[in-house]
Amino acid sequence: MDDLLEQPNKLPNFPLSTEDARDEDQSSDEEDGGLDWTKLPSASVNIARPVIPKRGEKDYEPKAGGGSGLQLHVLDRARTAMFNTLRATRGVNNKSMSYAIWYPQLARAHVTVAKGIHFSSMGHSVQRPIADADVKLQKRLELLPEEALYLLERGALWCWQDTNEGSWPINMSDIDARGPPMSVQQAYACMIGKEDLTLEEYQVFAYLKRLGYVVTRAEAPSLSYPVHPPLTKVKFQKSFSQTFFTLWSAVVRKFFRLFSGINWWKPFRIHHYTNYSSLFESLRFVPSGHTTPLQVRTTRNLDSSSPRSPYHIFYHLYKPSTPFRKTAPPNPDFYVVVVNARSSLMPSLRELAALYDKLPETPSPLPRQRQAPTTSQNAPAAPSALAEQHPISIFQRISRLIFPPKAPSIPLPPSRKPHPFAALKAGKKMVVIAAVDSGNISFFRFGQGAFDEWPMI
Amino acid sequence: MPLITPQPRGPGKKKGGSSRRNENNRIYANPLPLIFSAEENRFWTSHTVLGLFGLSGSRVVNPHCEGIFDPYTRSVWVTDSVHSTILWRRGFFGKGTLSRSEPTWLARQINARQNAEKNMVSEQVTANRRAERKQFKLDRARAIAQAAEAAEAAFKEGRVLTVEETGVVIPSAATWKPSRPPPSSSPDQPTSAAVEDQKVDEDIPDNVEHLQLTLQEAFFLLWTLDCLSVIDPDTHAAMSLEEIWQTLQLIHFPLYPSLASDVTNTRFDNPFLINYVVYHHYRSLGWIVRNGIKFCVDYLLYKRGPVFHHAEFALVVCPVYEDEEDRQTCPFDLQNVDPFSWTWLSTVNRVNSQVQKTLVLTYVTIPARSRCQAALLASPACLQYFSIREIVLRRFIPARMRD
Repeated sequence: MDDLLEQPNKLPNFPLSTEDARDEDQSSDEEDGGLDWTKLPSASVNIARPVIPKRGEKDYEPKAGGGSGLQLHVLDRARTAMFNTLRATRGVNNKSMSYAIWYPQLARAHVTVAKGIHFSSMGHSVQRPIADADVKLQKRLELLPEEALYLLERGALWCWQDTNEGSWPINMSDIDARGPPMSVQQAYACMIGKEDLTLEEYQVFAYLKRLGYVVTRAEAPSLSYPVHPPLTKVKFQKSFSQTFFTLWSAVVRKFFRLFSGINWWKPFRIHHYTNYSSLFESLRFVPSGHTTPLQVRTTRNLDSSSPRSPYHIFYHLYKPSTPFRKTAPPNPDFYVVVVNARSSLMPSLRELAALYDKLPETPSPLPRQRQAPTTSQNAPAAPSALAEQHPISIFQRISRLIFPPKAPSIPLPPSRKPHPFAALKAGKKMVVIAAVDSGNISFFRFGQGAFDEWPMI
Repeated sequence: MPLITPQPRGPGKKKGGSSRRNENNRIYANPLPLIFSAEENRFWTSHTVLGLFGLSGSRVVNPHCEGIFDPYTRSVWVTDSVHSTILWRRGFFGKGTLSRSEPTWLARQINARQNAEKNMVSEQVTANRRAERKQFKLDRARAIAQAAEAAEAAFKEGRVLTVEETGVVIPSAATWKPSRPPPSSSPDQPTSAAVEDQKVDEDIPDNVEHLQLTLQEAFFLLWTLDCLSVIDPDTHAAMSLEEIWQTLQLIHFPLYPSLASDVTNTRFDNPFLINYVVYHHYRSLGWIVRNGIKFCVDYLLYKRGPVFHHAEFALVVCPVYEDEEDRQTCPFDLQNVDPFSWTWLSTVNRVNSQVQKTLVLTYVTIPARSRCQAALLASPACLQYFSIREIVLRRFIPARMRD
């Protein structure tokens, strides 16, 4: 940071034109540039909780020939502000601190005093035997290594290393007798590597937590860890007319193939068609889409000595706005895979197919025209689809068979069809892969494309 | 980013824009060189009935274009300007060898000789926009320097001013307008254009430009639409479909043309086949498919064509061997068989998101030789054994996905 500010063009100075400001809005991360330390009020420098300052504007360029008194002045002011901010001692409020004991053998931190809102989405209760009574089990709140490390690094948790294994409940009065709590460095050394937690996975966890997401493990590390209910495979019911139509067209196509004995030198009989859309339709003979059986020979997987693919879903991600209950987690908003960008290549088609096999289909995006959606934005299409599945009488069913409803399954007016580009970009299933390159995280979403379902003509 | 947003136009020009759009809708109305003629609408009923029995008459108007096969550039040259206009306007096939995409070399020459401001072709529009943009940046830099000078002067008197307080207006891209017409742009425009004004008619040069079709485009026009015939450069005779099919595959072998065409030289991982499968698939879905080398990808997908919208998707073709053993014997230099490194993915994705395109990895499976016999490759029937899957890639920005 010091080095950055010493470069003259990093000077906070004139706000540039609106166009530049817009460009900066579109630049992805807030952390991209240096911080403008002069934006800090001088009074805040000495208070217990330093405020993270906002980024300022860059100067256009250093003055030609150097030696601008104004630029030097602004530079000095910024540097002083930075040093003053960094000089402030980091403190915490005693009343909001939680207490925990780290058990290396269990790879869990037992929370003895839980304070603050963190525990509404972190930690899980586990039944552990009490030392003096062999049979009796008692519930206690435990944190996974990443959760304990995150709280500790944040300054919300004091954690002691366990000294005498298994003796609990702990008398709160002898906490002082345990000596000083773990330092952040010590916690990093102790907790990374426990319970499959790599440094990359912790960095992704901490980054997402700081943004307010709820992050849970995708694979329960123990039986007492709450997981969301297994995904119910929702088969989209095709309407009778649709099914009939697909069957009919398949039969017709078979029939024609049989009797015309396709001549591959002249397979498309141009003169049969009366318009472009039917002509284009006849050209679609290349098998496509992710439902086509993947005939790739899995030679590598048969070899048991080969290392496990790094591509497995590690975290479930919930947006801050998603109502989350710790004991009964809902279906996640995103599925996150964490890999080391230096030691792994992008996933192969086979690895992606294995990932998608475990994922549910995401609802198609909303049409663009609709404003102020009344339902929650997380699962826009789901509620309407569910609402339609109320029980229907036999008579209704029969009448539907005979007179198929005009709009199949979901009665949507035609204007509410999603924009094909939005649907194509979203894909049918989506997995987020976080590639961590020595601390820098780039997140990519890998959507399962469905171009064959959205022809342009 | 601002480079690709259209420049704001005055109200008078806006009208021109909408009339140009109508004009484009008219010129580029047909997505394929074939036209389904409308004049026989009177016999609509009888034709529908006949159509049911596969007996419909000659309702399709086929332009029957002609091109010369050029083995050295691996392309097909359409030299007849009528044909090249048809192929460009109906489906955006090919590229002018002396132009950005549409063969406009002759039009540019005529424009330059007449010193015309109207009827500008796309290259000239772009050049003008770039010149304006350059002028804007110069103006802005000058204003900023002026403001800095004023602030510096005030600082010497002991005051620290912000840029607003200096009173210098710094132009913004939203409001800036070129004060004078930008300097004439076309690089190949002769300076003495005005002198030659009188003798325009005698001076119009011969069109030295031709339309260049890639092998995929040529085979698509030839095989699926039957509206192109390809001429052998040596014998000057039209090549037969079988001959073309053989040649387009053999041409990718390192030893071509000394190579004999026999079954051992046909392989499912031939670059022509892989590219053709992709090209054909997206064409059949109604996309306009064009080369994407400019954006570090294999193909670009346009919704109706480059004159209507920017390309929406950028495709990278990733071949996947069904049987890894086939890869060991591959004589071709196939790109992207191994997965990208994360650095390369970021590079390609950065280039494409900068120009508002969505990156798509198109995986093409190469049929295993153990599953499909090489004899299948003798005819296009082998194309149905490939399969295509897309992965749509976008950056995921957690800070912007919170609600």
